[in-house]
Amino acid sequence: MGEPILDIAGYSLDYATPSGFTRALDDVTLAIARGEVLGLVGESGSGKTSLAWAIMRHLPKSAREAGSISLTGQDLLKTSEAEIEAIRGRRIGMVFQDPSTSLNPTLPLGEQLAEVLVRHRGLTRRQAWAEGEERLAHVGLKIPQQMMRRYPHEASGGEKQRVVIATAFACQPECIIFDEPTTALDVITARQILDLFKALQEETGVASLYISHDLALVSQIASKVAVIHRGKIVEQGGVGEVFARPRDAYTQRLLAAVPRPDHRLVEAAPETGDRPLVEVEKVSVHYGRKPFLGRLLGRANTQFTGNREVSLSIKPGEILGIVGESGSGKSTLAKAMTGLNRFEGEIRFAGRRITGLSDMDRAYRREVQIIFQHPDSSLNPRQRIREILSRPLALYGEPRVRKDAAAVGELLEQVRLPASYAERYPHQLSGGEKQRVAIARAFASRPKLVICDEITSALDVSVQASVIELLVDLQKRFGTAYLFITHDLNLVRQIAHRIAVMYRGDLVDLVDVAALSGADLHPYTRSLLAAVPAPATAAA
Amino acid sequence: MSPAYVLKRILLIGYTLLVVSLIVFAITQVLPADAAVMMLGENATPDALAALRAKMGLNDPIWMQYLHWLSGVLRGDLGVSMRTGQPVAPAMLEALGRSLLLALFSITLMLAVAIPLGIVAAVRRGRAADLGVGFLSYVGVSLPEFVTATLIVLVLAEWLQWLPATGYVPLTEDPLRGLKHLVLPVLTVSLILIAHVSRMVRSELVDVLHSDYIRAARLKGLSKRQVLFKHALRNALLPTITIVALDVGYLLGGVIVVEEIFALPGIGRQLIVAIQARDLPSIQAGALIMATTYAIANFLADIAYAWLDRRIQYD
Repeated sequence: MGEPILDIAGYSLDYATPSGFTRALDDVTLAIARGEVLGLVGESGSGKTSLAWAIMRHLPKSAREAGSISLTGQDLLKTSEAEIEAIRGRRIGMVFQDPSTSLNPTLPLGEQLAEVLVRHRGLTRRQAWAEGEERLAHVGLKIPQQMMRRYPHEASGGEKQRVVIATAFACQPECIIFDEPTTALDVITARQILDLFKALQEETGVASLYISHDLALVSQIASKVAVIHRGKIVEQGGVGEVFARPRDAYTQRLLAAVPRPDHRLVEAAPETGDRPLVEVEKVSVHYGRKPFLGRLLGRANTQFTGNREVSLSIKPGEILGIVGESGSGKSTLAKAMTGLNRFEGEIRFAGRRITGLSDMDRAYRREVQIIFQHPDSSLNPRQRIREILSRPLALYGEPRVRKDAAAVGELLEQVRLPASYAERYPHQLSGGEKQRVAIARAFASRPKLVICDEITSALDVSVQASVIELLVDLQKRFGTAYLFITHDLNLVRQIAHRIAVMYRGDLVDLVDVAALSGADLHPYTRSLLAAVPAPATAAA
Repeated sequence: MSPAYVLKRILLIGYTLLVVSLIVFAITQVLPADAAVMMLGENATPDALAALRAKMGLNDPIWMQYLHWLSGVLRGDLGVSMRTGQPVAPAMLEALGRSLLLALFSITLMLAVAIPLGIVAAVRRGRAADLGVGFLSYVGVSLPEFVTATLIVLVLAEWLQWLPATGYVPLTEDPLRGLKHLVLPVLTVSLILIAHVSRMVRSELVDVLHSDYIRAARLKGLSKRQVLFKHALRNALLPTITIVALDVGYLLGGVIVVEEIFALPGIGRQLIVAIQARDLPSIQAGALIMATTYAIANFLADIAYAWLDRRIQYD
């Protein structure tokens, strides 16, 4: 390796707050040479994004810095604002996490690419548009000419991210920062974007800083990896070395928390002889209604199908995983089963037919509970945990069960939270703790089925691991069945007995988890399996 | 922009105006006024009254009277004033013209001042300029119109004697004097509009400046200036368009106090006169004209909005 392109030495960053300084980055030292990809791995709040802003010199006024960040020998901390503006986008590019928010909704995609060429390469607008088209073709967009004129809402997430990548590469920068560029995308789209990244990286030899929380992904694309924890780089080195022989305790914990399909967390499926607990029979959900004017003008039906005749059954104590990309109808089904969506078809629960909301009486609601993705929006911010948990106790608790403070304390201890949390408000808890409260609330009525709708996707990998462990534990204790909805195939293969795959509203596969390696699968399932990065430690 | 979207909006206007015409007609029906008595006076003979009622169609069923009136409206005939005996439409349209003139000047001045003020306040958030703009706009919003108007008259017309306090001269007659008479009412109304629009621009712009795509634009190397004017302002001004359309409505009927103070014979004042005289055709015509102008202003705002933000027409 030659001279480093990006060289960060002893860099520390503090933010001034009314109560003193908060340390965001602590003595960070790393270097990236030409052609290298350094994977920066850390959980939320670890400081990985702060480092990206520091390199881009985009820090709030409250920032206090020490150390140096050098781009081919030039210390960026000592560079003037005007010079920085000439460096950004030209010598250091950046690809952002979510293309749906990082593109201006009121400007055409082409304009947002061409303006960089005009600004940094001094092209005329006409030249910039012509070159922009070439750039878009180069990142694999099929109809670059039309794509240039489209607005962000007229392109898919993958297409938009390709435009953002084309923009970052537009001025042949020496260094590009990738800030979780695939996190907001579906599995298969993410795979394609990764392939594009690899191809462009090899072709241009750009020095890349690839920020991610996903260890499996980083192990596949990076040559070096740095693990960041609470602002400190706790370990860095070659990818093979760090993942195979992690020295730092935090790295070891992080690696152990990564879901691995070969590491099953649950016992064998319940006896097949059991009668199903819930049967979903040809359930369809349609969204939207015929607009009045559309009907007047004789326009076609604009209804959108969320679920198309989905049938499945769940046995007592079984964990049924549902996977699929966003918009595939996973959550739609969960909502139908809890009466949040109208549906056609029927649900049979414990021998009773349920054809709509009115059939979901108190008994049904006691037995079927749901946990949502974001505890922030599913817990009332103005209620104490005690109030949140005593509500289902009062509504659904059996007559002989106590409903006092001790009962709330027991619920909390069941999810491994201290009973003293009862007096707290949700904002005083961490993300993982809040999700535990949501779990405790669902289990308050001792349900037979709990629908988990992406309940760990907003959580960090180590927190996710502990929440999953808790769920498995509760399942063993109470014999509860789960409908476990997720987009994380590795995770669901760890805990589910059977897996249902949904695609554009259809249930395309429903197989035993062991059969996933078999050949008799829907093409979509196969491409989904192929797109998932293998876990980092698979080699070890 | 798709023609279907424009067509949809136009259809919606027609529908709105039809409903408005029904309401306006219904309201004038319940007003305690007998058109025949009003025209012939208290001392008219019962025979004369009956003859006139028959001639005016006042004995017809209500729905026929409505259809009759509506067909007149569609042909541009808004009826004859009971007060003056003259056709209603020309007088009302003339008053509308004066109001529109006031509105045009006021909105232009308002935009020219409020948008820069809002931008300065947003860009220098939390600093002296922001606090200054914030303070002034609170004062502007909280002062009643008649206080603002009186203060302006007091300073510019009484003490400094720069401009005439009241009255109206058509621009066609004497452009210079006409403009002089317009300055004070325009100032009064603009000050009120500036106060709330500048706050609106500021808060929208502050939100937009914190969005991901603004940061992305900055990190592409664009200057603060380019980011502000090309990326941020377009998005921040969108809601302002809606506000301007609502302000047109306010300027066409809500500024009666201002029209009174400055003796500006706008449509608001004309309508008050008609109501005081129970001049039913004038009331109907005034209300209908105001509603139409308002609907057209909102239509134009919708079109402008959809043109600037292409996502709209898909909703």
